[in-house]
Amino acid sequence: MKQDFTNLLTGRQSRQGLWFAPLLVAIAIAAYLALSAPHFVGSENLLNLVAQAMPLTITAIGQMFVVVVGGLDLSVGSLISFTTAILALDGPGYLLIPAVLAFAVLVGLINGLAVTRLNVHPIIATLAMQYIVLGVTRTLRPVAGGTVPPVVLKAVNGFVFGVPMPVFWGLLVLLVGWMLLHGSRFGLHLFAVGGGIASGNEQAARNFGIAHKRITLLAYVASACFAALAGVYLAGRIASGDPNVGLGFELDAITAVAIGGTQLSGGIGSLQGTIIGALVLAMLSNGMNLTNVSPFLQTAIKGSILLMVVGLQKRKLIGL
Amino acid sequence: MSSLIRLSNISKSFGGALALDAVSLELKPGSVHALMGENGAGKSTLMKILAGVYQPDGGGIFRNGHSISFVNPKEALEFGISTVFQELTLLPNLTIAENMFLGREPRSTLFSIDRRRMNTDAKDALNELGLDLDPETLVSELSIAERQFVEIAHGIKADASILVLDEPTAALNAADVEILNTHIRRLRDAGKAIVYISHRMDEIFRICDTVTVLKDGKLVGTRPMSVMNPSSLVSMMVGRELQDLFPVRSKAFGDVLLEVRHFKIGAGTKPFSLNMRSGEIIALAGLEGQGQQRFLRSLIGQFQPFNGAVTIKGKPLPLPVSSASGIRQLRSMGVGFVPEDRKEEGLFLGLSIADNIAIGLHAACSEISLAENHRQRIEKAMASLNVKAANARVIVSSLSGGNQQKVLIGRYLAEKVDILLVEEPTRGVDIGAKAEIYKLLRNFATSGGAVVVLSRETVELIGLCDRIYVFHADTIVSEMSADTVSEQNILNAALNAEAAIERE
Repeated sequence: MKQDFTNLLTGRQSRQGLWFAPLLVAIAIAAYLALSAPHFVGSENLLNLVAQAMPLTITAIGQMFVVVVGGLDLSVGSLISFTTAILALDGPGYLLIPAVLAFAVLVGLINGLAVTRLNVHPIIATLAMQYIVLGVTRTLRPVAGGTVPPVVLKAVNGFVFGVPMPVFWGLLVLLVGWMLLHGSRFGLHLFAVGGGIASGNEQAARNFGIAHKRITLLAYVASACFAALAGVYLAGRIASGDPNVGLGFELDAITAVAIGGTQLSGGIGSLQGTIIGALVLAMLSNGMNLTNVSPFLQTAIKGSILLMVVGLQKRKLIGL
Repeated sequence: MSSLIRLSNISKSFGGALALDAVSLELKPGSVHALMGENGAGKSTLMKILAGVYQPDGGGIFRNGHSISFVNPKEALEFGISTVFQELTLLPNLTIAENMFLGREPRSTLFSIDRRRMNTDAKDALNELGLDLDPETLVSELSIAERQFVEIAHGIKADASILVLDEPTAALNAADVEILNTHIRRLRDAGKAIVYISHRMDEIFRICDTVTVLKDGKLVGTRPMSVMNPSSLVSMMVGRELQDLFPVRSKAFGDVLLEVRHFKIGAGTKPFSLNMRSGEIIALAGLEGQGQQRFLRSLIGQFQPFNGAVTIKGKPLPLPVSSASGIRQLRSMGVGFVPEDRKEEGLFLGLSIADNIAIGLHAACSEISLAENHRQRIEKAMASLNVKAANARVIVSSLSGGNQQKVLIGRYLAEKVDILLVEEPTRGVDIGAKAEIYKLLRNFATSGGAVVVLSRETVELIGLCDRIYVFHADTIVSEMSADTVSEQNILNAALNAEAAIERE
C-alpha cells in the first residue's frame, strides 16, 4: 500500500509519468485561491475557468500524442488562428467546419511526412509549418473580424438540458483522448514507438511489426485535428476570426504537457497529466487575475512552475 | 521428410564486405537445428534474413517448393517464423503482456484492446515457461534474465512453426538453461523447427539434432549431430587454412611497456598478471564476455575493477581510472585506445578523414589553443595508411569499413603513441583490408611500440600476435606462444576451463 503510494508519487512502475505530483500542485493552487480569492469557488467562476481552460486543454491533448512519439508540434498556434479565420468567412457552417478539419488533416500530414519521410527535425518541420499557416492566415484576414456561423456559436455558448456546452466539450475530448491514448491499439503503438526512440533504438517498434512511420504521422495528424477543434471552440467564444488568437498556444500546450509528467524524450505520458497541466496553467492565470497579480509576473511564475515540476521528474525513472 | 522452409543460395553484402556467400539451409519439422560459427561468420545475418529484417541480395526462400519473400519482420511472422534476437528488443515502457502481443493485440471492439485476454494469455505463456511474473509489470522493472525469458515466451506465443533462438542462454544461469531446454524439446515434439544459435558446446550436443556450420559467410556443411563430436565440430568451425594474411613476426623485443599484476576484475574472481614488451603484440582471447573486454576497458576507466597494479612504461597507473578523464590520462602516458565499434565509439562519421585524424593530434593541446590543420602530418598518415579515398577531405561515412578502420587506427599512429589497445581491429572488414591493418599494427610494433589486441577471431589472434592470454571467468586461464598454438588449443583452453568450472 505504502509502496503503491510511493510509486504513484514518483511515477515508477508506470509509463504514465509523474502526473500525481502535479495533481497535488493543482490542488494546492486551488486551495490557495479558494482561501485568498472569495470569488474563485463560485459556480460562475468555476464554469468560467472550465470555459477558459478548454482550448488549451484540447490543444495540449493533441500535442501530447506528438510528444509521446518523441516529437513536438509548434504549428498548432497558427493553426488555431487559421481555423478562426476560416470560420469567420461568412459561409455556411456545414461547409466551413469540414473545411477546417480537412485543412488540419492536411497540415498534420505535411508535418508528419516532413518528419518521417524527409527526416526533418520535428521542431524545424513544425516551425516551418507555423510560419506557413500564419502567413496564409494573415493574408486571409489581416485583422480580427468577420462573423462565425451560428451553429458554432451555439455549440460553444449554448446549453443542452440546462448544462452549458463547455461541459460536453470537456467530456468529448476526455473520452476521445482517453480512447486514443490509453484505450486503443493506436495509443499502445504510440507508446511503443516513443519507447523505442527514448531508449535509443528507433527500430525496436518496427521489429514488432509496427509501422512506426505511419504511427508518427498519425500523431501529427491528431495534434493538428485537436488544434483545429480548439480553434472552432475559440471562434465560438470570440464570435469572429482573429489572426492572433492562437499566438503562443503551442508553447502553452507544450508547457501543459510537460507539467503533466509527459516526457519530451517520448514513451512516457498520460491524458490525466496533460489535463492537470492545462488546468494548472488556467488556474494560474484565472486565480492571479482574481488576486490582481500583474500579468508580467504571471508569466514569470508560469516559467518557475514549469522548471520546478519538470525538474522533479527523473528522466531515467523507468529505464528509458 | 519434407522441409518446413528452405533457404537456397542466400547472399548478402554490407558496404563492400560480403557477409553471406551462397548459403543454403533447410529446416525440418520436429528438429532442433544448431547454427554454428565464429562471430562474424554470418549466423546472425542469415537469421535476420529469415526473420525479414534484412532482404537477401541473392538466392531465395522456399516453402513447400514455392518461393516466398518478406519485406519486414511482421510478414515473416505471418509466415510462421518467430525470432528471439540476441540483442534485447523489448520495449521498456510497455508491460510484459503488451510486449508479447505488440502488433497483434487481441481486440475487444474495433479499436480497443482486450486487455483481460491479453494479460491472461500472457500469464499462461509465462506459466508455461515456469515464470511467476505479473504480465502487467513494466519490462523496465525486470532483470536481464527475466527479459530474456519474456522474449522467448513472446516467440513461443507467436504460434510460429519456426522458432529462431539467437544465443538465448547468454544471460541465463544453468538452472534457467535447463528450463529452457525442456521447453525447446517440447516445442520440437510439437512439430516445430527450431534454429538454435549458441557458443556453448555442451548445450548444442544436449538438444540439437542437426548442425550447420558457417565460416566467413560461407557454408562449411550440414551434418546430423549423431556423427559429430566436440572436436570434429570445432575443427569444422575453425578448419581454414591460414592464408598469407599475416606479416612476419619480429623477435626483437625491448623493455616492458605494460605490466599488470594481481589484477582482480571482480571481488570474487581470481587475480591474474600479464606483461608486454616493446615490439610485441599480445592477444586477449576467450569466449564471449569472459572478462577480456572488461579488463581492457578498466584501463581506460570505462569499467571499475576490484583491484590490481598496472604499470605503464615504468610509471604506475592508479586504479580505478576515472571514467571521465581516463582516455586523456592514458593518452598523456602514450597509450591509444581503439574501440570495438568504430561507428558508435570511434569515428566522427560526418567529418572528413583529415578531421578524424587531426582530432587525435588536437586532443593533446589545450582547449583554447589554435587548431593547426596538421596538413602534412595527415597527408603522411594517409599515405602510410593507404586509405582509398580521393583526398583527405572525403567524409568518413562514405568510406568502406576497411578504410574507416584504417582512418581510426591512423588517428593513433599519427599521434605517435607507444602502446595501442585495440578492440576488434578488423570487425566487418574485407580480407584485403585485414591484411593491411595487420601490417600497420605489426609495423607499429617493430618500430618500438606494443599492441594489445582483443578479438573474437581466433585466427587473427594467432596470425597477428606474439603471445596469447586466454580469459575465462574474468581471469587468465592460459598463456600461449602464438607460433606454436592452434585455434583448437585456444578453443580447448577456453572450453575446458568452462567444463572444469562446471564440474566443480
